[in-house]
Amino acid sequence: MGKTIIDAHNVSKTYKETAIPVRALQDVHLHIEEGEFVALVGPSGSGKSTLLNMIGGLDEPTSGTVFVDGVEITKLRENKLIDFRLQNIGFVFQSFNLIPVLTSRENIGFVLQLQKVAKKDREKRVLELLREVGLEEKINSRPGELSGGQQQRVAVARALASKPKIILADEPTANLDSKSASNLLDIMAKLNKEEKITFLFSTHDQRVIEKARRVITLVDGKVDSDVQQKPT
Amino acid sequence: MFLKLAWLNIWRNGRRTMITVASVFFAVLLAITFRSITDGVYENMIHNVVSYSSGYLQIHKNGYWGEQSIDNSFEVDEELSKSLLDNPNVTNLMPRLETFALSSFADKTKGVMVLGINPTSEKEVNQLNEKVIEGIYFESNSTDQILIGSGLAEQLNAKVNDTLVLIGQGYHASSAAGKFNIAGILKLGSPELNSNVIYMPLKASQYLHGAGNRLTSLSIMLGKTSDLESSKKAIENSIDTVAYEVMTWKQMMPEMDQFIEADSSGHYIVIGILYIIISFGLFGTLLMMTFERNREFGILIAIGMKKHLLAYVVLLESIMISLMGCLMGVLGGTLIVHLFTEYPVEFGGTLREVYEDYGIEPIIYFSGNIRIFIYQTLVVLVLASLLALYPGYKVLRIKPVDAINS
Repeated sequence: MGKTIIDAHNVSKTYKETAIPVRALQDVHLHIEEGEFVALVGPSGSGKSTLLNMIGGLDEPTSGTVFVDGVEITKLRENKLIDFRLQNIGFVFQSFNLIPVLTSRENIGFVLQLQKVAKKDREKRVLELLREVGLEEKINSRPGELSGGQQQRVAVARALASKPKIILADEPTANLDSKSASNLLDIMAKLNKEEKITFLFSTHDQRVIEKARRVITLVDGKVDSDVQQKPT
Repeated sequence: MFLKLAWLNIWRNGRRTMITVASVFFAVLLAITFRSITDGVYENMIHNVVSYSSGYLQIHKNGYWGEQSIDNSFEVDEELSKSLLDNPNVTNLMPRLETFALSSFADKTKGVMVLGINPTSEKEVNQLNEKVIEGIYFESNSTDQILIGSGLAEQLNAKVNDTLVLIGQGYHASSAAGKFNIAGILKLGSPELNSNVIYMPLKASQYLHGAGNRLTSLSIMLGKTSDLESSKKAIENSIDTVAYEVMTWKQMMPEMDQFIEADSSGHYIVIGILYIIISFGLFGTLLMMTFERNREFGILIAIGMKKHLLAYVVLLESIMISLMGCLMGVLGGTLIVHLFTEYPVEFGGTLREVYEDYGIEPIIYFSGNIRIFIYQTLVVLVLASLLALYPGYKVLRIKPVDAINS
């Protein structure tokens, strides 16, 4: 049995902004080990993004606790939490991930700069990451000059920049054509295998689900099934 | 990196940024030009008035200002003059002996102020010789000639080359009486001075009053007139302040200082309105720049950027836009001030006569005081920083999950 990297206990989230409170998550238990490649699936409104936000410390649960790499992030104060994310968690969002005025080099380097990495090491790491996602030649391109798939690959490279333990991806292939989606998934799977980075991504996309080794299905804010599978 | 990010951000919508920069530019340009004119007019007015009367600074025997009597006069020694002239900001010294006497011509008499002056230094500093409308200016420092104001000449019905009798009190209650030849008649700016003053060479006045080598005041002209207080302090440090008192023109003519203060406050209101107008423009731009990037801010916080750093970037953006407008405004203002300093605007017609009557040159002077430029730049930068507080506050309140989903 591997090391536990994500441990969520009785996580519930209720939104009370409307007249009728919305229970987005209900007593969710989740246990993910280091190096897993997990797909979080379910219909719209099932709580996938909410759960990812709780695990990433972007939102607070109404009740329950979330441990990431042994740290109870639900108890961390705001700046400590931001620091924790910077060091341990990489994010890939559905779209418009990148800062539009910065080049690929600068978008990836930005995270390293926040980590106060020296310029020389930063440059080396940026090149290495762009090579890994196959976009070395787009180093000086701004997001507007890249296709949707290329932008997501740069976003993955940025998420990897700080050498995080986990990458959380919220429907990363939702806006991509099948070729770009497949390409992105291959890169993520390769990084998972070679660098032992834990991937947890929400998706509707059947092709993505097929690549995962573990599929957790959420329905109405509850874990409906949790299945290990052989990726295709 | 943050500087670069802020710089790139402000050019996301170049047209909007340029409109905001232009509004800052015009406000700074107008404020600089306006302040330069008003300060220039004040400086010129002060120079005209103080050069005829008090000087920028004046030295008296300690206690003279409280009791302005010839008995409170002092003897000038070489050491005092030398220590004053050693001050690099002192350009001229004007020794004066100021007394009061009864003037008489034919069957008319009038109380007058008798100013014993050094003809050469007065000529240099205030061009008193150019105020002579009839007759001539003094030829030397020790003649028995006098110059009288045109108002006084009218009242006494005296003309050039007539002889005027002066009777007054000299030093230590001695009698001061003499006959003096009217060498010239002056037309002075101040109507009050014009009908009351008699100028006399210093030596003649000292002889008339039995005052030896004594003066009632030593007026000091300065190079940098803005350094009034520091020059006063420097002079006080270099002379014996038990024996002498040093006063600024503001202390001696508080009514003029108060007039300038009151007049300036109106100008501050005009400039204030200008800045309020640009504040709205700048604030609108900052708000738009902040709110349209809400999702991006959420992502940046998610990937590990602390909120205070984001607020710092917003502040930098505000300062950059303002600074661009400021620099352009200062550059434009410098060109305008330089142009009108080189080619001053002269009044014509009635306005010219009014100015001349008050002894003020009929010219619009532009002040090139560097403080005007620095002050306007600082005001805009402080304004920009204050305006960035609200967007900065909004950034600090961002909830990343809400921002990302916005």
